[in-house]
Amino acid sequence: MSRRRGAAPRTGGLELELFTSGHEPSVDGPRHLEKPAADGPRPDAATVIESMEELGDRFPGASAGSAIPVSALTATAKDVVESAFLPIWVRGEVSDFKTHRNGHWYFCLRDATAQIRCVVWSRDRRGIPAPPDDGMQIVALGQLTVYPARGEMQLMVRRMEAEGDGLWRKALDLTRARLAADGLLDDARKRPIPRHPRRIAVVTSPDGAALHDVVAVLRRRAPWVEVVVVPTAVQGDGAPEQIVAALDRVARWRDCDVVIVGRGGGAREDLWAFNDERVARAVAACPIPTISAVGHEVDITICDLVADLRAPTPSAAAEAAVQSRGEVASELRSLASRLHGAMTMQADGCRQRVRDGARDLASLTARIAERRRLRLGALAGRLQALSPLATLARGYAVARGEEGGALTSVAHFAAGERFELQLRDGIVRARVDEVVTATPASTSSEAERE
Amino acid sequence: MTEQTFEKRLQRLEAIVAELEGDEIELAKALALFEEGIECLRGASDELSRVEERVRTLTERIGGEFELDG
Repeated sequence: MSRRRGAAPRTGGLELELFTSGHEPSVDGPRHLEKPAADGPRPDAATVIESMEELGDRFPGASAGSAIPVSALTATAKDVVESAFLPIWVRGEVSDFKTHRNGHWYFCLRDATAQIRCVVWSRDRRGIPAPPDDGMQIVALGQLTVYPARGEMQLMVRRMEAEGDGLWRKALDLTRARLAADGLLDDARKRPIPRHPRRIAVVTSPDGAALHDVVAVLRRRAPWVEVVVVPTAVQGDGAPEQIVAALDRVARWRDCDVVIVGRGGGAREDLWAFNDERVARAVAACPIPTISAVGHEVDITICDLVADLRAPTPSAAAEAAVQSRGEVASELRSLASRLHGAMTMQADGCRQRVRDGARDLASLTARIAERRRLRLGALAGRLQALSPLATLARGYAVARGEEGGALTSVAHFAAGERFELQLRDGIVRARVDEVVTATPASTSSEAERE
Repeated sequence: MTEQTFEKRLQRLEAIVAELEGDEIELAKALALFEEGIECLRGASDELSRVEERVRTLTERIGGEFELDG
């Protein structure tokens, strides 16, 4: 039995007293008693033992006869230790780290000459970025207690920090590795940001500097762009869940062209929500192109790595999201001049085609006419060759009836009828005296003529 | 978005210009494209000169409907 005083970081007048007059001791509960006067008379060790012997069997554990069970001892020790120590930061090296299947972490914290068993309950793991590695130098904030079943002292750790940001870096590395394994960090995944968004959603704190900066830049550069705030907490407990929920709202809503997700600068812990794996996965899953803008230029978060574009600051995100009025106007001018030029070209093309067609048509017509003319000449020549006039020229005559038809057979003549003879240089009117038919063989072809 | 966005107008305009700058096409079609291009150009210019400066908040009502507060 002892009176612990000054060993623990206690500041008040709380004292532990197992056996003191005026109080009935019990092993059933803690004995946190207010001592009436801190500077009152205090018995020394010899007096205590003497008084215990005097007390005899009246108090549990005061004599062999009233011995208490082990479980009562360790339970009491637990109460004593827990009440004697406030949560306290302890420095040491991690060893024998194990994750129990129920999610609790167990390890030892040691220095050159001593060690203490430590536990992190699974519910307390949220406050610790990543599990420590064996050999890591850490400082841990924990409540000293006794594990009654083993009678061992144990530190219930709630917060932990490693030298050189070791735990934060490790947590980042672990998250990054998991995201990389799922291909979420591939550059090929990155979508282009629309050059002319009509409406931009901003997932951030409604009263943070980030929103102010984004709105200021958009107002200056592209006042026609509509800003839709999707409010969320960006730091503190529950921030990752809120950011994920906000991104989910945007994803279901879809009625915007770009999503800016981020916050202004802050301490590393304040930016930590943007290193949360759930947030990263929600950014990656967003159906709308995303721009991540967290903190200042030096701060690079997991969220930055999965977004389609990483902007160093919220202002830069807004700059990247829109072209300025001048840029857009000059693009429009260039498009307008290209449109007119292209149309002129098309019209010129058509005009040329018409001209070409007319020329082709003319030359084709000329060719056809020429061919006809040649053919006509040839026919004229042949006709000339066949002309009866040529025969007349050689001294022959043609007989014609009164109706003008050629009389080519004796059958066409009858005695007394008038007819004409056409000769090379004129016409002779005549009358038939007699018709003499030649032998049939020599005239049959002549008779069939008419 | 159901409304013709600035981005969509510009994309269409670029497509039209590219088509007109390409192979020869029927005059009637070229004219139709040109007119559409002019229309896109006018719409985009109008939008550019419109100043809205609106910051609104996305809220979700029970039942999953979204609305924008002014």
